[in-house]
Amino acid sequence: MKSEPMALLCHLGALTRHLTPNITRSRLHSVSSPVPIQVRPYTQNLGRPVQIYRSRSTDPYLNLSIEHHLLQRSHPESTVLFLYTNRPSVVIGRNQNPWLEVNLRALRQGLPQSAAAAPTLVRRRSGGGTVFHDAGNANWSIICPPPAFDRDKHAEMVVRALRGLAGAAARGGKVRVNKRHDIVMDLDVEVGGVETFKVSGSAYKLTRTRSLHHGTCLLSSENLGRVGGLLRSPAEGFIKARGVESVRSPIRNVGLGGDEFADAVVGEFRKMYGDADGREVVVGEEEALANEEVVKGLRELTSPDWIFGQTPLFTFSTHPTEDDPRERPGITHRLPEEFRAQFTVRHGEIQAADLAGLEYHYSVDDASQDVVLSNALVEQRLYYIEDWRSALRQASPVPVDVEGVGEWLNYMF
Amino acid sequence: MARALHAARPLLAVKPVLLADIGEGIVECEIIQWFVEPGARVEEFSPLCEVQSDKASVEITSRFAGVVKKLHYEAGEMAKVGKPFVDIDIQGDVKEEDVGALAPVQALEKETEPKPTQAPVRPPAEETAASQVAILTEHETQSTPKGRGKHATLATPAVRHLSKELSVEISEVNGTGRDGRVLKEDIYKFVERRKAPSAPASATQPPAAAAFTSPERSTTEAQQETPIALTRTQEMMFKTMTRSLSIPHFLYADEVDFTSLVELRGRLNRVLSKSGLSDSQVGKLSYLPFIIKAVSMALYKYPILNARVDVDSANNSKPTLVLRSQHNIGVAMDTPSGLLVPVIKNVGSLNILGIAAELARLQTLATAGKLSPQDMSGGTITVSNIGSIGGTYLSPVVVEREVAILGVGRMRTVPAFSTVPGEEDRVVRRQVCNFSWSADHRVVDGATMARAAEVVRAIVEEPDVMVMHLR
Repeated sequence: MKSEPMALLCHLGALTRHLTPNITRSRLHSVSSPVPIQVRPYTQNLGRPVQIYRSRSTDPYLNLSIEHHLLQRSHPESTVLFLYTNRPSVVIGRNQNPWLEVNLRALRQGLPQSAAAAPTLVRRRSGGGTVFHDAGNANWSIICPPPAFDRDKHAEMVVRALRGLAGAAARGGKVRVNKRHDIVMDLDVEVGGVETFKVSGSAYKLTRTRSLHHGTCLLSSENLGRVGGLLRSPAEGFIKARGVESVRSPIRNVGLGGDEFADAVVGEFRKMYGDADGREVVVGEEEALANEEVVKGLRELTSPDWIFGQTPLFTFSTHPTEDDPRERPGITHRLPEEFRAQFTVRHGEIQAADLAGLEYHYSVDDASQDVVLSNALVEQRLYYIEDWRSALRQASPVPVDVEGVGEWLNYMF
Repeated sequence: MARALHAARPLLAVKPVLLADIGEGIVECEIIQWFVEPGARVEEFSPLCEVQSDKASVEITSRFAGVVKKLHYEAGEMAKVGKPFVDIDIQGDVKEEDVGALAPVQALEKETEPKPTQAPVRPPAEETAASQVAILTEHETQSTPKGRGKHATLATPAVRHLSKELSVEISEVNGTGRDGRVLKEDIYKFVERRKAPSAPASATQPPAAAAFTSPERSTTEAQQETPIALTRTQEMMFKTMTRSLSIPHFLYADEVDFTSLVELRGRLNRVLSKSGLSDSQVGKLSYLPFIIKAVSMALYKYPILNARVDVDSANNSKPTLVLRSQHNIGVAMDTPSGLLVPVIKNVGSLNILGIAAELARLQTLATAGKLSPQDMSGGTITVSNIGSIGGTYLSPVVVEREVAILGVGRMRTVPAFSTVPGEEDRVVRRQVCNFSWSADHRVVDGATMARAAEVVRAIVEEPDVMVMHLR
């Protein structure tokens, strides 16, 4: 087992070059050859021209914070590879709308047929669409100088790593990079012909000095069939949003183990950047949390203001409007006949609300009550409203029937 | 004026900055969010905005030091690469390689023409900004009363050098110089305050954001005063109320039994929902049209309540009462921009359905912020449904050029004793509502008000009476 010599190395402290193995030999199948692991703080590694990191943590917020820290602090000329795996999480893109992309209520209830804790909701810093991460999914991240940036370059690198491994080859599948810079697998179908499945998605973050390309790779996730419901929001037909919408594709596992994938990618990376005898640094949770900048980034990523408040402007309406003339989906909940609702939400805050048709007990003029209730909702944060029934009750000075409407709004948001 | 100074320089300092090529042949991208606002100071490499193109999230930083003057796009709009996306008043040196990022010379020349005409238009806005800054500097406050965003601060290169030396963010310093310029003394004072433990974190946070952060301030702080200019609606309210409250008011309040009206309304709404409706008709009646009609009916008996008082300044300030034939009943409404009072004209000529339709029309316009001056003018008496905001009794304020106002409180269910003969001990449910009348005591006496209020109450408590008055 390769872990024993590694553990030994760790315990013996910082070991240097003389323990470097012969990397050139069969690194693609090199599950057994030890690679030197550094135990000193990973930040000391940031000045090197080629850097390779693996995270021990499965906390998606922490891993993204480490990644961001690497983006900000690695030497401007360096090229960095970072590999990590997350516990079950739904990860939305920087500018996406969680109410539109995710079924938040289903998310809170957890994966179907699973007793595990509910998946974590994360908003990453790079663009792109919504994905599901779990232990069967590997994340890889390359940071390089802007002149060297190319959307396909490192996707091709991962494809090379995959091609050499047993899993993909055994399934008779061919992996390649498609036009959207995703990695797909073409499988021969019994009936004849070829079906294409997505096995990896990519996203990018570009700053003035550095370019980041990170992507996933579906290795052996057990949850492929369970995730669909989480990524379909009941509010979809009612929300018109700016920002990026997700593009759905059929997905497949390539059928590989995490370690063999990681080793293969590291191997291809070393080949590409001529880093035959460089170090690989394992980043542990404690070590990362000891770093102020990582913690600062972590705080940002975990705050509701980031996760929900970074949502671009969107409108929600029960009926077709000038801005959004689509026909609305049917509503199965029992609502008052004349009920209409329209919200404009910016950065998670209700900027305008127009509810009508609510049923009040003893009001002199229902229409004015609707106005008062609507005005009371303005400037409230959508993501602070835990239960619409009590929110509506509090917003109305006159007793109002909240059950039907409140429940339906809870279902929407 | 800052603008006048710049116009005198041979080189125009405000330059449109082009959106740099972000590579990959991308011609346009979506602005996700801005990190600056007009008036914000930026340095070289300050983040300006974040854009998204397909799956890439790109941070755009500034090439120049200066003050942001104008954003060409709003968040959510598509920005074109190679076209101006922000105007910056450049205050540093422009490097050779960055000149290309500025709009070409022809565009600049076009800018020179509008400049002189812009100058007279701009000053009012800039003046209020400057005067607000002046208010700031008069009170020695630490907060930023101008709301969100950094305010425009100008500083000479020497001052900027000092601020860099002392690691001070210029935008956080209150400028006491002309036009809010930051002077050396301001920097020194800021540094001192920064050292002092009493400098609260909230000083640099805009007050609007402070509303959402949890109160972390200690209770031993000194009182902080934050002058805020009144909104236009508030200003109007201020003027109106100051005038109104020079009128001596008296209050007459009464509890009105709505039970019969509740029954009648229920019956009428059932009829309305069964019959096919034309577009102009209302689908469901509220109580307000009944109340408004009852008031109008009372005004026929007591027309003084529909009058106004004119004080003739030419004739020794002699007051006259001006009676008015039409009942134009104003209905107070809570709108997003505050309390407004649109008017239902000539209620005397409208039936309940007509009043309801007009009420609905005005309510829709009010919510949309589209009431016309026509809708708001000519009121002779006002009904204020502030029961909608909560409150049982109220003391409404008579509107200018009127002499009376009716405030309708909340409807509530109360126990009462039956009035059926022989059953006087039985407790029954009643729906009641409090009517609070205010009137100008200079011309309306208590007895008149009481009698008029009685008429309204009688009609509302026994709405079938209206049948008797049908023509």
